Amino acid sequence: MPPGDLDRALCGLIFPSDENVIVGLERADDAGVYQVSNDLALIQTVDFFTPIVDDPYWFGQIAAANALSDVYAMGGTPKTAMNLVAFPVKQMDLSILRQIIQGGLDKLKEAEVVLIGGHSIEDREIKYGLSVTGFIHPAKVLTKKNLRCKDRLLLTKPLGAGIVNTAIKAEMASARLTAQITHLMATLNRDAARVLSAFDVSACTDVTGFGFLGHLAEMVSGSGMSARIFSGQVPVIAEALEFAAMGLIPAGAYQNRAFREPMISIAETVARDRQDVFFDPQTSGGLLMAVKAEQSDGLIAALKEAGVEAAAEVGEIVDDAQEKIWVV
Amino acid sequence: MKEIDARGLACPAPVLQAKAALQEENPQAVKIVVDNAASQQNVQRFLESQGFQTVLEQKDGDYVIVGQCVSLTADQPREPAIDQNEKKKIMVMCATDRIGFGDDALGLKLMVSFLRTLKEMGDELWRLVFVNNGVKLTIAGSQVIDDLRHYEKEGLKILVCGTCLDHFKLLEQKQVGETTNMLDIVTAIQLADKVVSI
Repeated sequence: MPPGDLDRALCGLIFPSDENVIVGLERADDAGVYQVSNDLALIQTVDFFTPIVDDPYWFGQIAAANALSDVYAMGGTPKTAMNLVAFPVKQMDLSILRQIIQGGLDKLKEAEVVLIGGHSIEDREIKYGLSVTGFIHPAKVLTKKNLRCKDRLLLTKPLGAGIVNTAIKAEMASARLTAQITHLMATLNRDAARVLSAFDVSACTDVTGFGFLGHLAEMVSGSGMSARIFSGQVPVIAEALEFAAMGLIPAGAYQNRAFREPMISIAETVARDRQDVFFDPQTSGGLLMAVKAEQSDGLIAALKEAGVEAAAEVGEIVDDAQEKIWVV
Repeated sequence: MKEIDARGLACPAPVLQAKAALQEENPQAVKIVVDNAASQQNVQRFLESQGFQTVLEQKDGDYVIVGQCVSLTADQPREPAIDQNEKKKIMVMCATDRIGFGDDALGLKLMVSFLRTLKEMGDELWRLVFVNNGVKLTIAGSQVIDDLRHYEKEGLKILVCGTCLDHFKLLEQKQVGETTNMLDIVTAIQLADKVVSI
């Protein structure tokens, strides 16, 4: 749902909690965390959506990578998963559903996660996703909060997937670019999460529907600090800039911008196309994390060595209580 | 004026309708009605990227965008035929920052000389396009920056490939020319009377 709408729907509802909830609804974080014992907490998350690529097998893979990502973004290890399936049984061949589920299964296998159940309904439109449960040590939970002054911000996947997907819908993207973006969305955030656990990372989230600046805004609000983004260093899919210039921008990007506009200040020198990519809704995007300044170079080197090639330093946390994002 | 009603359509459908209309009918002016803000912005951007000047009007919750063709970047001959007979349009595309293979220092010297001598084409020199390694001629420290700036001041349109700048991480260092995309380049090739590729 567009940012803001969900807030309005839930506004005023009371959600009971208990003392074992480490991260609950009120935190609006990537996943919920519930402490089971002194050294074990459960991470739970769920995510599903309509097809974003034509190939059912790859759609399954991307949906699974996307659902697993919330557990990685909290610093945890996913263990079990359940399928969520909506399928037009009468209109479509069941082999399509089979391929979607096969894609999801293969991704779970890669992540060493077991599928232990699921639920399916008949629907007019295909929807697929998973609920994922993971483990984490209660003291090692990584939320969006706890930013520290001078922390450096790192991003692990290039931006622009939403714009490129719009161009694919418009049949204006090349087959090579389509394959590239599909692969990018299906890439697990597991390796990035594994690497960052050895570094002094204060906060982490994954970049999805609210776009890069939308998710950064969630980290910054309530932190008592501000962020400065070096626009030229942010990894971006080059073709996304070209498609943005032609107006192939998903509506969500405009909604994301409008919702966060009051707290974001963008220098005039930042090209409009690049700004759009910063608000572009991502599917299964990369991790956005804040690391101790002195460790930033080391973390980038370690990420690249682990195959997270796009990893780059994109900004820093600054001592400015306005809670703004300055894009320069 | 070509009119398109794209109400009830979500992105990117209104842009695709506008694109199809420009390709099929080469209109001088086009009017597109959409019913959501995202489509409105996208359609305006598309028209502007195709050399149209746009005016927006809001009417009963709908957005009416009127585009007037103002430049030649779109893919149709909009100049009077007479004008086209008078002067040729020559497009020079540099995909490298040096001429030929062999000695790199010589190649660079030749390229500098080539770009400086291009002015002998007079106003038939219509577009200067830099792609791949060629974009390095447009960044700080290039030997021909002053010459290129001079061309630009004289009214020559210099296009620099954005994908290439981004690839070399030089986007912030470009000193001259407009950042462009492949569609603009292909359109320019189509419009030019002669394309010289280096």
